[in-house]
Amino acid sequence: MLTLYHWEPNANSGKPMLTLAEKGVEYQSHYLDLLKFDQHQPEYLKVNPDGTIPAMVHGDRVLTESTPMMEYIDEAFEGPPLRPKDPKERWRMRWWMRFFDSYFAPSLSMIGWSVFVGPAARQRDPAELKAAIERIPLESRRIAWRKALFNEFSEAELAESRRRVLFSTGKLEQHLATHRWIAGDTWSLGDINGFNLGYALPLSQPDHCNDQKTPHIMEWLRKIYERPATKATWAKGRTAMAARVTYLERKGK
Amino acid sequence: MLELHHWEPNAFFLKPLIALKEKETPFTSRYFDPTTFEQFAPGFPRNLESGLHLEREGPLLVHDGTVISSSFFMLEYIAETFPGIDLNPGGAFEHYRARAWGQFLGLSLGPGVCALGCAKYLAPVLAKRDATTVKDKIIAIEPQERRAAWSVVIDGTYDEKTLAAIREKLKFPVRRVEESLAKSPWLTGAGYSIADIDAFAMLSVLPDLAPDVVNQQVTPRILDFLERVRARPAVKSALAMSKTGKPREAFVPGAEPSRWG
Repeated sequence: MLTLYHWEPNANSGKPMLTLAEKGVEYQSHYLDLLKFDQHQPEYLKVNPDGTIPAMVHGDRVLTESTPMMEYIDEAFEGPPLRPKDPKERWRMRWWMRFFDSYFAPSLSMIGWSVFVGPAARQRDPAELKAAIERIPLESRRIAWRKALFNEFSEAELAESRRRVLFSTGKLEQHLATHRWIAGDTWSLGDINGFNLGYALPLSQPDHCNDQKTPHIMEWLRKIYERPATKATWAKGRTAMAARVTYLERKGK
Repeated sequence: MLELHHWEPNAFFLKPLIALKEKETPFTSRYFDPTTFEQFAPGFPRNLESGLHLEREGPLLVHDGTVISSSFFMLEYIAETFPGIDLNPGGAFEHYRARAWGQFLGLSLGPGVCALGCAKYLAPVLAKRDATTVKDKIIAIEPQERRAAWSVVIDGTYDEKTLAAIREKLKFPVRRVEESLAKSPWLTGAGYSIADIDAFAMLSVLPDLAPDVVNQQVTPRILDFLERVRARPAVKSALAMSKTGKPREAFVPGAEPSRWG
């Protein structure tokens, strides 16, 4: 029995969703609405006491870290291998996933939260929001949510995040100019991770990520979008955020 | 051809030394002193990934021309590439746990350990050098995050209040390790692994750097764990590669703390 607790096909939730789809593994899907704080409700805290998503339950095993979860899926289930056999490519896959997870994504999400998540959540009753934050188990996540919900990002923080997004975009373009996929010659979890991070980058950074300035990123995103597993996974999205992915459809088709 | 570019056997530099000794893999040791900025000199191994260096400073493994950086992924590389003892025992779930520990401790413990070590040991070393020369070397460092990591060591950022806050933040990951060791003697539950090597390299300096966080009263299991790892012949052999005789005082800037707080 395999159960995945997830939000939209996007960022951390999308990583195991697309990995499972690529492997052809069936699972029971539990959709949690991140903006309604479903992940901090008592029922879910029984599954993952830290209150973070995604979480995957396989038999009596509970997995809560999305990138290691992807490697688990590849190792535990039959299906096409999603990690290169070559140890050097495997190392490159892991290095870039860490770059995405710990450098690129936090900056991109800070911008996304300040312009999207924060304003959306602020439509709700402030007292209710405050109570929702108090229920968050991890202190580091309480701080992050408080910043996002009450718009406590300083202009300097946001400017640094914008700088890092552009810097990271440039490095990714440089990498993809000499490597077909993130790991090298082999399609892998690194590409699944990177797509979840960057599928909307050309929409949010149109002046910096486009066919003229970053042709290799654009081609890489379109190649991943064309995969049946990607289309099936993004079709599970319930919001306009996930629906945007269709802009990657090649023109003239 | 296998070359390890490393400094004293401590913190991030200690990890691949232990793993290669555990595997009994022959390698050429390329010892360098990062406090003199040798790693930025022309001719030092480099690729896009090592230039960005998410850990800021650390060991580089050069295997048949490929430059491998990032100490936890280097441990995985060594575990999966060379014959010898299995350093990632168990099945898919134990491997998941090793990676989850590597990620969690790398992000939660690594930045604090390096900051405390730099404040206590690296800052006085740099203060004895010619200030203009040190500043000129730091100003030339790219990218800017790596430059900033060095700048905070000499610009007075690490006052007692900041260091106390860093020590306080270490309590959470330290408690998680202590709780895990109550359930199983090794972190993945499947025997000694790269997760233990990784944790040892960062935890073994904390009785010195944060005695209020790691001590006999609060973390008896961690102290026992450190002794068990330290007793391994491979670990003794790695620690014996020190040239200064004071490996536990060798620190350079590490990964930055989360920008989300």
